Parts: sequence; C-alpha cells; structure tokens
Amino acid sequence: MTTARQAGLIACHFCHTLSKLPEGMEAKTQHELTLGKAIMHCPCCQSSLHSRIPHSLSRTWALLLAALILYFPANALPIMTVIYWGEGQPDTILGGVVHLFAEGMWPLALLIFIASVFIPILKLIALFSLLISVHLKMQWRPKDRTVLYRITEFVGRWSMVDIFVIALLVALVQFGNTASVLPNLGALSFAAVVILTMLAAHSFDPRLIWDAIDDENSIRNDESL
Amino acid sequence: MNSNNLNHIASIPPISRLACPDCDLIQTIPPLADNEVAHCIRCGTTLFKQQKNSINRSLAFAITGLILFIISNLFPLLSLKAVGLTQESSLLSTAFALFDVNQLLLGIVILLTTFIFPATTLLGTIYILMQIKMNRINCYTAPLFRFLRSTDAWGMLEIFLLAILVAVVKLGDVADMIYGVSLYAFCLLILSLSLLSYSLNPQDVWNKLRDSNGCSG
Repeated sequence: MTTARQAGLIACHFCHTLSKLPEGMEAKTQHELTLGKAIMHCPCCQSSLHSRIPHSLSRTWALLLAALILYFPANALPIMTVIYWGEGQPDTILGGVVHLFAEGMWPLALLIFIASVFIPILKLIALFSLLISVHLKMQWRPKDRTVLYRITEFVGRWSMVDIFVIALLVALVQFGNTASVLPNLGALSFAAVVILTMLAAHSFDPRLIWDAIDDENSIRNDESL
Repeated sequence: MNSNNLNHIASIPPISRLACPDCDLIQTIPPLADNEVAHCIRCGTTLFKQQKNSINRSLAFAITGLILFIISNLFPLLSLKAVGLTQESSLLSTAFALFDVNQLLLGIVILLTTFIFPATTLLGTIYILMQIKMNRINCYTAPLFRFLRSTDAWGMLEIFLLAILVAVVKLGDVADMIYGVSLYAFCLLILSLSLLSYSLNPQDVWNKLRDSNGCSG
C-alpha cells in the first residue's frame, strides 16, 4: 500500500498521468508545488501539477462560509412574486413548498423540498463535517467519508431546479397586470448558495481524508523497525 | 516528449499504473474484458471502464446531441395561452426574460448553464473525438479536453428538463399549455447527452492523447 505521495510521484488532477518528482527532494518539491512556489507541468495535458489541491482546506472553508451566510437571505427573502389581477403575492422557498402542499400537489412539494431545502442543508453539513474531520486528522471510516464526499459532489447541482422553475415562470407568465411573475432577491441568494457549495465541493480534496491514515501508518511502520 | 516545457520530469511510469484520484493509492490495473470496470481497492472509486468502440459511439451521440440542440433552440419549448394572449418560451428566451426584469446575474447563470456550457461541451467533444479519429491531435487538444472535463458539471440541461416538468404541473390547471416541437427534441437531447456521458470514457481519451504525443516539436 503506497500512495503516489509516498512514492515521490505526482498524479495529474485531470488526466491522472503519473510524473516523477526530482530525485532526493520529493517532499520539498511537493510542498513547494502545493504552495505555488514551484511550477511543474503535466507531460500529457500541460496542466500545472499539484500533489494535493493547493489551499484546498482554506478555499473550501471560505466558499462554505460564504454559502452559509447567503443561506439565510435565500430562505428569509421571497424568491418570486406572483402578481394576479394586480395583487402581488411574494413567496419564499418554504412558503412555496407549503403552498404546493396545501393545493394537493404533494409530489411536486416533495420534489421542491428535497431539491431546495433538504439537499442544500445536507451539503452544508456534509462539507462542514468533512472539513472538521480532516482538521482533526480523524481515522474514522475513511471509505464512508469518501463516499459521502462523492454523493455531495454529485447531488449538489440538482438544487438548481428551483432557480430554473422561477426563470421559466418569469419567461412564460408575462400578461401584465392580469398575471405575471417577477423574481426577487431570494432567488439570486439561493442561486449563489448552490453555486458556492458546488465550488466548495470541487475545491475539497478527498485525498486529505486518507493522508491522516497514511501518515499514521508510516509512523507505526517507523516505530516497528 | 516535450522536454523543454517540463522542468524535471524524468520518466513516466506505464499507463496501467495509476494513483487513485480520491485516495492517492498507487495501483496497477490488470487488462480488462469488455464492459468491465476497475475500482480502487481501498476507497472504491471507479478507476477505469473498458468499453468497446467508446470513441465512435460517443462521437455518434455527440453529433446527434448537437443536431437536437440546434432544433431545441429553433422553436419554442412551451407556450402559455391566457386572456387571449400567447407567451412563448425557448431555451435562450428564458435567460433573456431575466435580463428584461433586471436580474442580470441570474440571467447570466441561466445563460451559462443552459446554453453556453452545453454548447461548448457538444462542440468541443465532437472536435476532440474527430481529431482523435483523424489522427490530427495538436497542442490544443489536451488543454481543450481538460477545459471540457472541468466545465462538465456546469451544463445543467437535464435539471432544466426537470424544471420544465415542474412548471408544466404548476401552470397546468391555471392556463392552457402548448408543447412546442422543441420540447420533444429537448427530451431526446437529454437522452443523447446521458448516453454520451455514459459511453465517453475520459481515461480512454487521455490514453489516446498521451500515446499520440501531439505536441512534440
């Protein structure tokens, strides 16, 4: 069981080509590449090589905190206003779900609830706990944590469905005072939450989960020698 | 080998050996039979899919997708009839409707995710697969493919289809809906896009690009 980092190799993030680091100074070069002090290019796709995503943790923290801050206006402010016979009715995300439920459209209410309320919260919690587990160098169930990361990364984009529904309603329902739909600031905040959490998931490096285990193993091996 | 560009790369180990992108463990992938998938022994991530004719099939789906994408954009997707007026909406007009009500940022997000990224993905994939098939790989092929891989998650047409369904159900009992020709084309487009992402094997494309040494000069 050797990782690329232990073997003095570096795997390209995009095309997975393995490159050899200069002999005798593998650890130093890896450190410098991650900090951006040295540059090495992948021989296959010319992307700059890093053993781990540079500043992965601080970037993920920043994006995630920004998403958390915007999560409040996204839920508190109305996402759209439905004007019907001259009267406006602003709706928040949860208000819209309740509205659909009251009208008996519960499959739709469930869909919007999962995409717009459940998934964003789940993503925020999952990424926070992944970040904290990496900071604490936890050894606990690395495989499950990797799976959790992969689910988070995969499922996040589906939260955009509510934004698309608003955009479609705005484009379709434009009959002046009789009936029209206008987007509100809540929609923009919610779109920002979805985009920021997607970027946060992309900037998190799942290999950091395994580094804690690999470091522990190499210490144990050193002691047994 | 393009040696002047690479600072100190001595040699590249054989292709069948790779580090898991999710846990960094070095593994050797044995020769696989058709439709076999290699998973990381430690974290279970898919490392490699063996598919016959992956490039040809992907090219076919990408070209089909491009034709359907053009048809989807030519005609309205949905029309709404109320108080004697008809309001039409197409892919692009959805984004422009947001520009009209002064939601510039939201409009840009919709424009990027439902038009620009999907169009780039289709055109770029066709271009790269054609280059591979015609043996015309050049310096820009690999960086272009890298760009397409990194923008892959931002094309959200399948989510837009779900949004259309939601909008149809929401408006269905309030006003008359007319389904345009483009809606059928759009459904088929989503089908061919998912078949494309199923048949396109990124690692296969990278191996071809690596073997060709397109940038050596």
